[in-house]
Amino acid sequence: MIYIVEDLINGILMGSIYGLTALGLTIIFGVLKVINFAHGSLLMVGMYVAYWAVSLSGLHPYLTLLLVVPVMYLFGYYLQDIVIKPIFKAERDVREPITVIIVTTGVWYILDNLTLLIFGPQYRSIQDNPLRGKMLEIGEMMISVPKLWGFFAAIITAGSVYWFLQKTRTGRAIRATSLDRDAASLMGIKQYRVYNIAFGIGTATAGIAGVTLVPFYNVFPTVGVLFDIKGFIIVVLGGLGSIGGAILGGIIIGVIESVGPQFMTATWTEAIVYGLFLLVLFAKPSGLFGVKYEW
Amino acid sequence: MTRQKLQISSLVLVGIITFGLPVVLRSPTYLHILILLYLYAYLTTSWNLVGGFAGVLPLGHAAFVGIGAYTSTILYLQYGISPWLGMIVGGVLAAIVGIIIGLPTFKMRGAYFALATIAFGEGIRVMVENIDYLGPFNLNGPRGLQIPPLNVGLTNLMFTNKEPYYYIILVMLVAVLALTYSISRSKLGYYLNAGGEEPEAAMSLGVNVARCKLIAMAMSSFLTALAGTFYAQFTLFIHPKSVISLDLSFEIAFIALIGGRGSIAGPVLGALLLRPVGDFSRIYFGATLPGLHLIIFGTVLVLVMIFQPRGLQEPLTRVYHKLLDRLIPVPAGTE
Amino acid sequence: MKGRKISQNVFRGILVAICVCSLIFFAGTPSLAGPEVVKIGNIIPLSGPSASVGQQGKQVREMAVEEINAAGGIKSLGGAKLEMLYADSESKPEKGVAEAERFINTEGVHVLTGCWNSAVTYPTTAVAERYGIPFVVPVSVADKITEQGFKTVFRIAAKDSWWTRDQFAFLEDMEKEFNTKVKRLAFVYENGDWGKGFAGQWKELAKKGGYEVVLDEPYPSTATDLSPVVQKIKRARPDVLMLVSNAADAILLTNTLAEYKVKLKAIIASGGGHADPSFLEASGKNARYIFDIVEWETDVNKPGAKEANAKYKAKYGQNLTGEAVDAYLAMYVLKDALERAGSVDPAKIREALAATNLRGGPGMIVGYPAVEFDKTGQNKHAALVMVQINDIGKGIERITVWPKEARRAGYTPVFPMPEN
Repeated sequence: MIYIVEDLINGILMGSIYGLTALGLTIIFGVLKVINFAHGSLLMVGMYVAYWAVSLSGLHPYLTLLLVVPVMYLFGYYLQDIVIKPIFKAERDVREPITVIIVTTGVWYILDNLTLLIFGPQYRSIQDNPLRGKMLEIGEMMISVPKLWGFFAAIITAGSVYWFLQKTRTGRAIRATSLDRDAASLMGIKQYRVYNIAFGIGTATAGIAGVTLVPFYNVFPTVGVLFDIKGFIIVVLGGLGSIGGAILGGIIIGVIESVGPQFMTATWTEAIVYGLFLLVLFAKPSGLFGVKYEW
Repeated sequence: MTRQKLQISSLVLVGIITFGLPVVLRSPTYLHILILLYLYAYLTTSWNLVGGFAGVLPLGHAAFVGIGAYTSTILYLQYGISPWLGMIVGGVLAAIVGIIIGLPTFKMRGAYFALATIAFGEGIRVMVENIDYLGPFNLNGPRGLQIPPLNVGLTNLMFTNKEPYYYIILVMLVAVLALTYSISRSKLGYYLNAGGEEPEAAMSLGVNVARCKLIAMAMSSFLTALAGTFYAQFTLFIHPKSVISLDLSFEIAFIALIGGRGSIAGPVLGALLLRPVGDFSRIYFGATLPGLHLIIFGTVLVLVMIFQPRGLQEPLTRVYHKLLDRLIPVPAGTE
Repeated sequence: MKGRKISQNVFRGILVAICVCSLIFFAGTPSLAGPEVVKIGNIIPLSGPSASVGQQGKQVREMAVEEINAAGGIKSLGGAKLEMLYADSESKPEKGVAEAERFINTEGVHVLTGCWNSAVTYPTTAVAERYGIPFVVPVSVADKITEQGFKTVFRIAAKDSWWTRDQFAFLEDMEKEFNTKVKRLAFVYENGDWGKGFAGQWKELAKKGGYEVVLDEPYPSTATDLSPVVQKIKRARPDVLMLVSNAADAILLTNTLAEYKVKLKAIIASGGGHADPSFLEASGKNARYIFDIVEWETDVNKPGAKEANAKYKAKYGQNLTGEAVDAYLAMYVLKDALERAGSVDPAKIREALAATNLRGGPGMIVGYPAVEFDKTGQNKHAALVMVQINDIGKGIERITVWPKEARRAGYTPVFPMPEN
């Protein structure tokens, strides 16, 4: 019995981190209506920035957030502005610009391989950081401390973004644009600036996710690919555009991955995750918490 | 000479050149590159039936390649059935799977459809990787299946040199292009086109959009599976990561998109441009600057989409027509 | 008049004679200048998941070829130098096959080497066989590579069935030496060609040795979280854990095992990811006491080994690994064969390779005495050593412990693992 509880806890913690990685994806999709295939690469960039920040300064990993968040925000903002905006302008009348998907895939290839070229293929991890390998022992159960930190980071980030979208002017502008971009721009909201901001926020959350992973995970050029597909599955599960849905979707996946192997080999849990994904797509495509989009 | 005559004769000229190429070009490496080029052109043209005509973005077509490859290979290795027959069986199987996938997914729009096809593609790959035996059939999981190069000959679709492969894939490509052309001129083609652009309007006119899309999907998956068999017989080794990979699905879709989906020449043009770029950058840069060829590929993707989102066939067709105008000026008052 | 005509004729006659002689001379004797280079095509993963080991393979080949060329190249070919061509397989079989075709047909290589990933080597050797080009396989271990009945394949490393056999032999020796009984085994392995191959053999060997297999767990090498697998290991309470992992998952597993304080008598790894230098760097202290089976280790008691390692380390910043040494040796095996063949004709090179009996020279820094290929192209003498990762005062390092003759002087392996 205690095993299930221990696994459940690990699943929830790891799952919340998955949700955090997918948060940016759902924001970008909700607002821009595009699937950002470069999201895994953005996560990878966030991890490298965090890694170098910690290695060079010796700071506590979470302190590097002060650097990572603004850097990633600006990176995302300008990526959208320079690379993706022109396509939006070209496909003004298409309901959903499919070409953006291709561009983001191109960005993914470029980012991953540029990193390989510049930094090499080695697996890096931070050796002496205060979070490494620490476990919390409650009775017979062991809980990973860095994952616990990640859990709180995920909840706080999700909460902050939600508050931002609900309570601030910019947030409301973003929500208006995501509901109906033409109407919103008629009301004086600068559509493309909103897109830039949304992309910046999405990328910044990827940066935060990177910081949570760096204490216990390896950093290498193709690390983003592992989280990419998972991110899409989580976002569909939770509902594209729903922040709570992303975190919850992540937790569901995390729990399946943690509890599942007790009953079958780890390789089959992969298949189950895909199966669940397909089930949700067919039964309730808008996801658990998503709003039904008329598009 | 009329315009039409010029167009037809230039087409014939291209045909003669491509069919005659192996006589002049003796190097097996270049033949190999061309064979793969035609294969990709074939794959993207088949993809185009769904991705271009039906207006959706399927990103899981590698699954059909895999179905074709595995079906014919298993039938050949375990039962000695000729790959030609195995090809047809694989195609039918793929068509069935295609319809099963299409039924629920065509109801979804754009992004969801794309994600669903990704999930199907990956799901099938994960299953094949985990299963060693499906009933009496040996899939051999991740270790893959190797076809021993014995019993060479036409019946077994296995040859020691490249020329026969070249002609087979060339014929397949021409056939699929002709098929695409005739469909685009048929009722099915118009229905698909209408259904892609404005489904509600089309349905109100009595077009059974869903059925048309399923027909397109079935054809597309059938044809794609045939290529899978060809690939298996050409490389003589298949395993899940090479035939059912996400990379392959993406590459097929992107070549079509860059060339210009929805058009007939688009996918072929896309293959003509991107395959050599990928191959040559790997050959020249792969050893010194690893990953550079992928950076180049990615950059091409980004640039083409920014400047020519409808695909390269648009500007190229314009140039072609301009050329025709120069050669055969349209006299005032006629045509 | 007559005199002039005669001298003209004589003159013409001499001219013709000179021409005929030169023709015979040039046509009859083989080119004295000899070929200037021997072209060697190397197909290795330079990008993709095995890029790290692929790069090492390239670096060590360069080092060997530099030495060979500086020492005068291939003397029987008039001092011909070795020219190395590299192609990136991206760890994909179809790319390996395509590059092999290109190397053979366009570049005109005389020999091929590669491809590290067994899945790539397997079909690529078929291409070489079709064209009759000799193919030297330094590292790929899958049994079937030398079991295809090909005449042109020559493998330096031991087959994987020898690896698994030695892993179990080692275990039995350890049990005897330290008087510790081992009953429960856990097999955890990457879900690919390599892992599954090993696991299949382990299960057989376990049955023969009378061990109880308490866990048989394949896992996806690209998993983002391996704590569920570690939990399963912990709960199965095995005595010994046997692993087959690539670098990223090896690191993740090792760190997670340490985090969850899993108590085991021993961990036996299978090279590959565990032998990658990145592994030691990234797992640090957590890797202590792990046993790993490899072809070679830096402290092997062979002349030239230390010097070669120091040279490589000075140049590239890392120690040599067993796989790198295989590639290094492969270059010297090629040199030796080329010297004996005295020709760049692939058929002659192949024959020379088949007759190899290399017992000395700068390449033989491996632990075993000779390189000799049997009828299937397998190096009969290829042997393995078991190392233990430990810190005996000079930082974390890999120490050869088995076979006993190869054990580093003054070191006693730690078995079972202490309870810390």
